[in-house]
Amino acid sequence: MLNQTNQVVAKASSLIVVLLAVFFGAACRGTNDRGGQAEKVRAESPAKAGFSVEPIDQAGLKRLIGERSGKVLLLNIWATWCEPCIAEFPDLKKLSQTYDTAAVEVVAISADYPDEVDTKIMPFLRKTDVPFRVFVAQFEHPEDFINAVNRSWSGALPASLIYDSRGKERFFHVGQQSFDDFKREINKVKGGL
Amino acid sequence: MARRALVVLTAAVVLSSILRADEPKKRVSDFTLEDYKGEKHSLSDYKSSKAIVLMFIATQCPISNSYNERMVELYKDYSSKGVTFVGINSNKQESAEEVQNHSKEHGFKFVVLKDWNNVVADTLEASVTPEIYVLNSQREVLYHGRIDDSSRENRVTSKDLRAALDRILAGKTVEVTETKAFGCSIKRIK
Repeated sequence: MLNQTNQVVAKASSLIVVLLAVFFGAACRGTNDRGGQAEKVRAESPAKAGFSVEPIDQAGLKRLIGERSGKVLLLNIWATWCEPCIAEFPDLKKLSQTYDTAAVEVVAISADYPDEVDTKIMPFLRKTDVPFRVFVAQFEHPEDFINAVNRSWSGALPASLIYDSRGKERFFHVGQQSFDDFKREINKVKGGL
Repeated sequence: MARRALVVLTAAVVLSSILRADEPKKRVSDFTLEDYKGEKHSLSDYKSSKAIVLMFIATQCPISNSYNERMVELYKDYSSKGVTFVGINSNKQESAEEVQNHSKEHGFKFVVLKDWNNVVADTLEASVTPEIYVLNSQREVLYHGRIDDSSRENRVTSKDLRAALDRILAGKTVEVTETKAFGCSIKRIK
């Protein structure tokens, strides 16, 4: 009888262990898989190994905007050759540190070429130590990228867009903006929901 | 009833397409700017040109600079056919001396005018370098936008400025009148 009870307990324990393993395994995979490329686990600082600038195409851009998970998105389009873009980066950095990352996400897309990640983009990001995700646009032609972002955009840089937590574009601005300007617009979008 | 509605609809579509074709082109007011030598140039100086190509360019912008050789080629291919090329520098931080050195260094045969206070850039609503406006002798805009579709010459698939100039010289209507220029923002005075 005792043996039988022990066997049942042992079987039940094994089952629980298996179930827990399956559950945690699935949960871990779920974290890593969520959002695919857009949610890829990576280092937070360009100074650390693991920080990478991934190419983003039209589908990736749509995914990035669409998969908000309740977060407002400040999307900044810049290039290493664009002086006002470079001047704007400290404010973008400050913004990403001002808001809770679960509420507001800052993401930048570089309009440099994908083959310039190591030579131009990364050296700048390391110097600035940006604490947010940066992609590089991978489109056949600049106009394809321009129209994918916003059809009314002339293509002048920097360009900034704010999407609400449902992925709806709520703000579009061309030209350098200050920290306070950005903050005001982000708060409007956050408060408007 | 349905037939009448169809006729009215067809007439409306035809009429709207005629109206579009006859839509007045944007006309640019005459302006006078100095080149880097201090000589004055006005748009009205080019009345006899078959087309006037206004090119907003920069000395420091890598995208604009990637087009230097292409601009030299364009000048070589089209100036003898009656097309006038005019460079315009509206960037506040680029001096006349810098513009002169840049022109010499890259062998520009066309004038480059200094648009102090970005008055002409504002009038035309030019926002980046390089950005092109092609006018006829009545200063009407026939084409606005990019030179071609890639700053890397080996990736170009659409030579939009050349296509527009070829149509104009052939006495035909420009097919693509508007494209999006991509480059560095013009640095304006505040």
